Amino acid sequence: MPLVAVPKPTFVQKLKRFFMADLLQGLRLTLKFNIGALTDRDAVAGKGIYTEQYPKVRPDVAPRFHGAPRLNMDPETHDTLCIACNLCALACPEDCIDVIPMDVEVVVAGKARRKKVLDEFIFDTSRCMFCALCQEACPTYCLELTQDFELATYSRAGFVWNREMLEQGRETVKYEA
Amino acid sequence: MAILAFLAPINFIDSLLLKFFSEQTVNYVIWPFIQIGAVVTITAGWVAYATYLERKISAFMQARLGPMRVGPWGLLQPIADGLKLLVKEDFIPENADRWIFFTAPYIAVVAAFVVMAVVPFGPDWAVITDVNIGILFVLAVSSVGVLATILAGWSSNSKYALLGALRSSAQMVSYEVSMGLSIIGALMFARTLSLSGMVGAQQSDAIWFLFYQPIGFVIFVISGIAENNRAPFDLPEAESELVAGFHTEYSGFRWSLFFMAEYSAMVVVTAVATTLYLGGWYFPFVFRFTEARGFHNLYVVVSLIVFLAKIGLLLYLYFWLRWTLPRFRYDQLMDIGWKWLLPASLINIVVSAIVVFVLQALDGWHGMHTIDSIARGLNLTASGKAIAIFFGFGNLFLTAGILSLINWRSRDFNLKKQRRKIRLVDLPKGRPAVVPTGSADVSEARP
Repeated sequence: MPLVAVPKPTFVQKLKRFFMADLLQGLRLTLKFNIGALTDRDAVAGKGIYTEQYPKVRPDVAPRFHGAPRLNMDPETHDTLCIACNLCALACPEDCIDVIPMDVEVVVAGKARRKKVLDEFIFDTSRCMFCALCQEACPTYCLELTQDFELATYSRAGFVWNREMLEQGRETVKYEA
Repeated sequence: MAILAFLAPINFIDSLLLKFFSEQTVNYVIWPFIQIGAVVTITAGWVAYATYLERKISAFMQARLGPMRVGPWGLLQPIADGLKLLVKEDFIPENADRWIFFTAPYIAVVAAFVVMAVVPFGPDWAVITDVNIGILFVLAVSSVGVLATILAGWSSNSKYALLGALRSSAQMVSYEVSMGLSIIGALMFARTLSLSGMVGAQQSDAIWFLFYQPIGFVIFVISGIAENNRAPFDLPEAESELVAGFHTEYSGFRWSLFFMAEYSAMVVVTAVATTLYLGGWYFPFVFRFTEARGFHNLYVVVSLIVFLAKIGLLLYLYFWLRWTLPRFRYDQLMDIGWKWLLPASLINIVVSAIVVFVLQALDGWHGMHTIDSIARGLNLTASGKAIAIFFGFGNLFLTAGILSLINWRSRDFNLKKQRRKIRLVDLPKGRPAVVPTGSADVSEARP
């Protein structure tokens, strides 16, 4: 049994122990927190309330947080920015992106041409690990992982997002503060 | 003047009642019933909101918010809880002793509520009845609460409940001793057993007995907390060991009766501590600005508020201690009760007796004047007060010395000496056995 050398307590230490100085110190700490909570002082400094009223008050996530995916649109024409190049699907280590293109007939300089455009975009958030490599790969800044973190659904099928969900965003209940 | 208009109904109701009943009926039947109703209602309301306060204060001490959803700042939470408890199933365990199981919560709550009858909430009409052995009544009736705890634990037919009841009986009985002995010092200065008389003694002396009896106050409060089974003395309901202790098997409204008993017993202990040591409803200058100028009802109401404020401070101490200190070990609990509080209260009695003797001996000796009068308590002059306060606080150091002498060899106190003993007994001679690191049995030993 290893023994720790206990220094002999001085008279002051004995007196402190008898009058429970450590107990009073602990009481002082809790009182400080209580008063800090009532006067609403800075929570980070160890006073005040740390709790967030979550559904009412939404937390500020870190600036580099990756959350729900989104397909950005051209703000003027409201056409999708996606050119169906499939780079995001290739970049995805989890293979959770399916880009389904289709060909459309367009007339370029008086000649009929066929152009590949986006038909459907499938994003399986249940397999996504939010590494944002797809976001890195996207040449048109179309696919983006936003700061939204509420991804829970009632079924597994709900985790698979289609193009409409990716473009419009999912509807969540917002509580007023 | 607005306050006087607010207080006018009391006289109005009194004159209205006198039209229908005789003076005796009004004074000894109807008004007491009104007072009892008020006290019971206020206590029940306090019990409901004590849960809210407890949760809020604990939350604030842990930088949380506490209940916030039901009503503004969660103010309606106790009502929601109460409704939930009322509609819950009243579960009776198989093979429980049904009748004892049924009656135990009522014994608890009655023992806690009956004591309120003698608590002086204020002068004149603010006290239900002034029994001339009030303090004995309080001690006697509140200790019936132990019976409820034991019966509840015994009749539940559950090992957790039984263990909790055994612990609580041992704890409450041992702390009752020091609680009863700690008040004797204050009684020597009050020269009465009536609770109103004690307040009167402090009022005519214009001092709180806390200054004469600091040790007595500390012992009384500590044993009061232990008596109420509150943390850090909540061994009978230690969650981590005994689920919920003696009320493990109770649910619904019966459980809430135990809860009610606990919180109203807290009020009783704080009220008695306030009456004995903090001057009760007495506060300087209140008398001079109200009663002396003819505002009698205002005097009563202000005194009532003073009393409730003092109780509130002590109740905050309860919450504060609960959310600061961890629970004692069982042997530590018994150590504190029998080895520390009991000798300290005995020392306090002896020293208080010496103080009173010295004060009486010095009075009239070489023209010294220490005692003013002994009509309402032991009224001391300024020099007498100085002597009493000096002895009272000197008693702290005397008690410290004597207690450390008594407990010199007790557990947890003198660790250095005990460790040396362990070394002499336990340490094997020669080289310590080498434990091979990284071998098969070491990795097997890991969980």
